[in-house]
Amino acid sequence: MIKMVGALLRRIYSSFATNILDVPPRLLAFLLLMVLLFLPVARLDLYILRIVTIALIFAIFAASWDLLVGRAGQVSLGHALFFGIGAYLSAYLSRFHGLPLWATIPLSMLFCALVAVLLGFPCLRVKGPYLTLVTMAFPLILAVGFFALDPPFGGEGGIALTRAQRLFPMEALYPQRVAEYYLILFLLLVSAIILYKIANSKTGIVLVSILDDESASKACGINVTKYKLLAWAISAFFAGLAGCLYAHYIQATPPTTVLGLTTSFYPVIMTILGGIGTIYGPIVGAFILWSLMEFTLWVLTDFFQFIPFIANAGDELRIIVYIGIIIVFIIKWPKGISKFVVEKLDELTEKRELDERKKK
Amino acid sequence: MIENLIVFGALSGAVYALLALGFTLIYGVADVINMAHGAFYMLGAYAFSIFLMNLGYNSITNPSSFLLLTALILATIFVGFVGIIIYRLFVHPLIENPLSVLVVTIGATLILQQMILLWFGDVDMAVPKLLEGYTLLLGLKVAYHSLLSLVLSLGLIAILGIFIARSKIGGAMRAAAQDREVAMLMGINTERLYMLTMAISASLAAIAGILLNPPAASPMLREWTYPLVMSFAIVIIGGLGSIKGSLVGAFIIGYVEQAVRVFFPGMGYLQGAAALTVMVLVLVLRPRGFFGKHVEAE
Repeated sequence: MIKMVGALLRRIYSSFATNILDVPPRLLAFLLLMVLLFLPVARLDLYILRIVTIALIFAIFAASWDLLVGRAGQVSLGHALFFGIGAYLSAYLSRFHGLPLWATIPLSMLFCALVAVLLGFPCLRVKGPYLTLVTMAFPLILAVGFFALDPPFGGEGGIALTRAQRLFPMEALYPQRVAEYYLILFLLLVSAIILYKIANSKTGIVLVSILDDESASKACGINVTKYKLLAWAISAFFAGLAGCLYAHYIQATPPTTVLGLTTSFYPVIMTILGGIGTIYGPIVGAFILWSLMEFTLWVLTDFFQFIPFIANAGDELRIIVYIGIIIVFIIKWPKGISKFVVEKLDELTEKRELDERKKK
Repeated sequence: MIENLIVFGALSGAVYALLALGFTLIYGVADVINMAHGAFYMLGAYAFSIFLMNLGYNSITNPSSFLLLTALILATIFVGFVGIIIYRLFVHPLIENPLSVLVVTIGATLILQQMILLWFGDVDMAVPKLLEGYTLLLGLKVAYHSLLSLVLSLGLIAILGIFIARSKIGGAMRAAAQDREVAMLMGINTERLYMLTMAISASLAAIAGILLNPPAASPMLREWTYPLVMSFAIVIIGGLGSIKGSLVGAFIIGYVEQAVRVFFPGMGYLQGAAALTVMVLVLVLRPRGFFGKHVEAE
């Protein structure tokens, strides 16, 4: 018995070693995951925990955008639509109909996928930059709708949720936030793995072929419409998840935030920063975006105070520096930071293997 | 009520055409979806008022139209230069990659917005009218400023149209719009051409900002999303890259906006949504807008 367990453990370890420890990019991802797993153990400030949690939510959102754009090539600038619908629907059902969250969140996600399919039909006629700009309109129109229908949807502040509608309605603050953090981290992992599997499955390859050459894929007998709608639906499904989590985490659904232009821009920025078409790229991008923001806030605000002429202008300068750094990143690594790192690591391993072979 | 709709719809439509023209121009020539277009609009209005202030203009003690004109020209040139700088620093290294250009121009917008905050603080500036007083038209009070805006906008659009159709640089622009690489092979310096196009595009947005702000008062200032979204709607309705199209689109959007203002008084927040809804409807019926250039299915 003990021998069997031992053999099993050894086999798990050896597969872990060959699959993860020996592949530098995967090792890096594994280390990042470990950092994220043990982050709350360090008894962080609640503020930082909140920032990291929101970054996790936006990582899900950005990864879902990447499937739609990086794989299917449907450049959407209105992904906030699904974020907002998810947020509003889940908040509405739980607040006014008393449904538990384990029911409202999947329901909202399915509803988002349905909306994506319904919108996909007219949208598919539209191509290229027209698609980009027309998708941008949908969340802005819907935001006005929610804003105008005040009695159920709460106008400017959105639907206000109570503590009972949080993901974990516990009494003590810190354990509650930590529990929420782990749940959201778990959901990010699950959705990232599902999205990655889809992106690299047969479906994903078909989607890339449509991106590369639509007429050629059509000529090969691929039902282009079906695959495009599928990409829309899957992407909206996970974007809806991010929206639900966001609404229950911040306990509100302000329409100018959940359906705003900025929310539509976030996944684009994160994906371009991290690396498009990779699924892990946007997640890396989300962390870079958020940690850089906090870093500049933390370092530069104090720093600028000691410089006489700009002491009062610290806040604006900080944002300028922050955006400047991101733009420099994008210009320096136009394929995305994660792709760059992976390529560099691959080069290094190849070099090492070559050296070893030469020695022999 | 109907007179209201006809007159004011046309007046705002003309200036919108100017705004959208810049957007469609840089897309048509360089394939750049310029998210910083709203920022140029905003910067134009701000630069105009700051130049006026420094030139010693005062609407009561020193209302000199010479100063107004000088400030208008200075602000336009200034924003044109900002456009060149943004093109050179941010857009040019990424010109082959439209999505990155999109992101970088969003970044440029945010930087410009913060710079305006740095420069002016968190206050709304009053943008003075170019002409005081009003006349009666169909029994409506129409400000001279609005009439001048109409004339100026249509005049500029006509000049630009002739420039693109007749001049050598205009020909180069049309060539680059058709095929960038062939244009380069024919000896056109596309980099300089794109820079010039960006400058013209930014200047047009700045003039629109200067003309459109006084009647709408200050809440639209510091707000770059509204003009940006309006340019999108107009350009999409008319067809990307088409001057005729953006003219048609601008008047449609101008009338829609005015209709909302007339039929739903006190619900100003519906204006943008109504314009966007019209855009979506047009796009469902005509996927490339009214005059869009034909996108090859490759």
